[in-house]
Amino acid sequence: MSKGRSAALAALALLLATVLVACGGDDNGGGDLLAAIEDKEALTVSTDPAYPPQSKLNEETGEYEGFDIDVATEIAERLGVEVAWEAPAWDTIIAGNWNGRWDVSVGSMTITPERAEVLHFTPPYYYTPAAFAVHEDNSTITDANGLAGKKIGVCGGCTYDLYLQNKLEIARDESAEPEKVESAVANPKIRTYDTDSTAIQDLGLGDGRRLDAVISALPTLQAAIKAGSPIKIVGEPLYYEPLSVAVDRKSELDPTSLVDRLSEIVDEMHEDGTLSELSQKWYATDLTVAETSS
Amino acid sequence: MTIGSESGGERVAPPLPPAGEKRSRREGLELYSARIPFTLKLAAVWATILGLLVVLFAAADFDTAWMREHTGFIAKGITWTIVIAVLAIILACLLALLGALGRLSHNAIAVGLTGFYTSFFRGTPLIVQLFLIYLALPQIGLALGDPWADLLTLDVLTAGVLALALNYGAYMTEIFRAGIQSVGHGQSEAAEALGMTYSQKMRRVVLPQALRVIIPPTGNEFIAMMKDTALVSFLGTSIEQMEIFRRAQLVGKADFRNLEALLVAALMYWGLTTIFQYFQLRLERRLSKAYVRGTAGVAVAGQRVPTGPSQT
Amino acid sequence: MSPTSDGMLDVRVEGLRKSFGTHEVLKGIDLAIDRGEVVVLFGRSGSGKSTLLRCINFLEEPTEGTIEVAGIRVEGGGFRTRAKRDRIRQLRIRTGMVFQDFNLFSHRTALENVIEGPVVVLGKPRRAAEASGRELLSMVGLPEKADHYPIQLSGGQQQRVAIARALAMDPAVMLFDEPTSALDPELIGEVLGVMRRLATELRMTMLVVSHEMGFAREVASRMAFVHDGQIIEEGPPEQVLKDAKRPETRRFLEAVL
Repeated sequence: MSKGRSAALAALALLLATVLVACGGDDNGGGDLLAAIEDKEALTVSTDPAYPPQSKLNEETGEYEGFDIDVATEIAERLGVEVAWEAPAWDTIIAGNWNGRWDVSVGSMTITPERAEVLHFTPPYYYTPAAFAVHEDNSTITDANGLAGKKIGVCGGCTYDLYLQNKLEIARDESAEPEKVESAVANPKIRTYDTDSTAIQDLGLGDGRRLDAVISALPTLQAAIKAGSPIKIVGEPLYYEPLSVAVDRKSELDPTSLVDRLSEIVDEMHEDGTLSELSQKWYATDLTVAETSS
Repeated sequence: MTIGSESGGERVAPPLPPAGEKRSRREGLELYSARIPFTLKLAAVWATILGLLVVLFAAADFDTAWMREHTGFIAKGITWTIVIAVLAIILACLLALLGALGRLSHNAIAVGLTGFYTSFFRGTPLIVQLFLIYLALPQIGLALGDPWADLLTLDVLTAGVLALALNYGAYMTEIFRAGIQSVGHGQSEAAEALGMTYSQKMRRVVLPQALRVIIPPTGNEFIAMMKDTALVSFLGTSIEQMEIFRRAQLVGKADFRNLEALLVAALMYWGLTTIFQYFQLRLERRLSKAYVRGTAGVAVAGQRVPTGPSQT
Repeated sequence: MSPTSDGMLDVRVEGLRKSFGTHEVLKGIDLAIDRGEVVVLFGRSGSGKSTLLRCINFLEEPTEGTIEVAGIRVEGGGFRTRAKRDRIRQLRIRTGMVFQDFNLFSHRTALENVIEGPVVVLGKPRRAAEASGRELLSMVGLPEKADHYPIQLSGGQQQRVAIARALAMDPAVMLFDEPTSALDPELIGEVLGVMRRLATELRMTMLVVSHEMGFAREVASRMAFVHDGQIIEEGPPEQVLKDAKRPETRRFLEAVL
């Protein structure tokens, strides 16, 4: 019957039309990701703008700002292209399979074996201590031992999460063997959050109310305190993590030359002091030099 | 003259002890309250609730200064909230129309396709659909090869609008179907008796009348959709397209003021839905007026003939 | 409005059977209507007379049998292929139908109702259709109601507009399905009046299902009694009404008259 058939055809046509209208993908500039980037004259960088001081949205300027932002912008400049931003969820970034939506991640990402399976990493561009904080009213927890059996908030899928599960392995760089980071916390009650900021705010509700402690990057905890969070950092950093720039292994275009070039740039930026400068700007200390884990 | 009578017997006159006084005071209160118009009392209830909330918030030490500071920024998302909702509802209406026609069809393909569509998109959570369209479609595209890889890798806005449209379209299929079926069978027969094709009948006779029934619930769907646009932010909206919730999320996390940010967002959604609900109400009133007999000589649009027995 | 040249204006019903599920409503109907004839079908409710009428323009699909109107022949039963659907549409264009519940398009004015068929189905230009439409509305006595909506009209007025709407298509035959049964008594007359004029002035071929025996007596050229799915008696009104041959017919007439 014509009416039924035309209804079905129209439905199919509509679906196709919708899909066709969708944003097209990249211009295939010759099978090589670096070439494609140079062709479109822009490096698309993923960032999680809910992660100060690495990345956050400046309301007045309407732009992202932060340490990661500055590093990424500098990298793009050295590649001779503009920088463009995407802001997907963190678990989307670490899972790989970016489908060409963005080219690199400059997001303070630690090299772990699981991630190395789906992502290429450059040499680290800085190192950050993983520290823990408790509510400012707390007086009983002074070191990692004190965290035993406590409710600890972490960003889901972050190294802090893996650390507490005692599954964290970190590689110094892409070619090195990953080393196990033993968790110094016994029997933690892990509470995962979409991002560190939310965990920190839950801690701020009161000592032990929702959380007893939060583990996060030291600079992030310090930024929170500066913003007025009623927390305090205690104890020594639990470990240090090298943080690198990442590229999707499953990229349709060959990413090898891009990874090589990015690695070169990172090394250059270490050598000529750019990274140290940026670190001082955002962290008031130089985090770009390797520290041994504690 | 004695008041009262033999002990144990019946009283003649009402007693005057304090109990009586209290009773009359309460009665007096009830009578007084009955004289106050209902709307006034309603307004008083609302005012009390809001007042209590304000006091609570002040006591809870929310950073109201922060809230005031960032309201402007979050408010800029209102445009995108509305844009996403409008785009999605238009597409949803198209899907609902096709879905309804399909459900009513005698063609197995149409019935099957639309049945599958409505079952899946009503049977899975919207948030799951959003992620599927955003994350899973590209994978399928890659497997299918060019040009599907590019076509199926949607940007956040397109994925969001598409997911919302597919989801709401599935629910609205019922609305459209009921609307179409609400048009009396006789209308359809009269059209057919004149020799109209199916398409002519639907376009000229059935759908115009069905719309009358379809529009009010569709308005409600739109209002609901405005709230669901918040879910699109989970895909990671780009800077230029941030709607209310995304903006609230970002500034809330950046300044470690989640709660304050979310409160501002909640108030904005509340305001939006309230405003649109007011217009929705007016629309419903206008449409239902059409079912009332107009005065002689005044043409009032699209009125329905009560089917069946005589009229004077 | 006037009948077109002669030849193929008959209505022919051959061997019509109709079952709804297992219930057989029409058990073999043969009926022939010549140009200009007015045939009135009458019978008990459930006898199948309305079903018979509705089979003629295929609002019901016959289980068996053949319908021919103005030379267009369509077989009943079986699947409606695209070709069959087209022929049914052609047949419907040549038949005008007036329903018991009027079924005017409630979102259109009287005039718009009348011109809907010519404009949409016949492709007539709107201006011309409106002119003809107004004439038709005058003919049924409602020229001033052209811009009124159905809900503003009485039942009798609506039915008259419905008649005008059917006439606008210039049909070969008009089918009336109990046209006055849903009307208040005082409104029946105006509708019957229009129908009478259709028969006498326009010499329209008409097939009418009705209980209005007075109308039948005056206007019908033939009356057919439908009993239990079959036409068991047929003839000129005087003969059927005064001198029915079948006992079932007599019984029915006694109850009605």
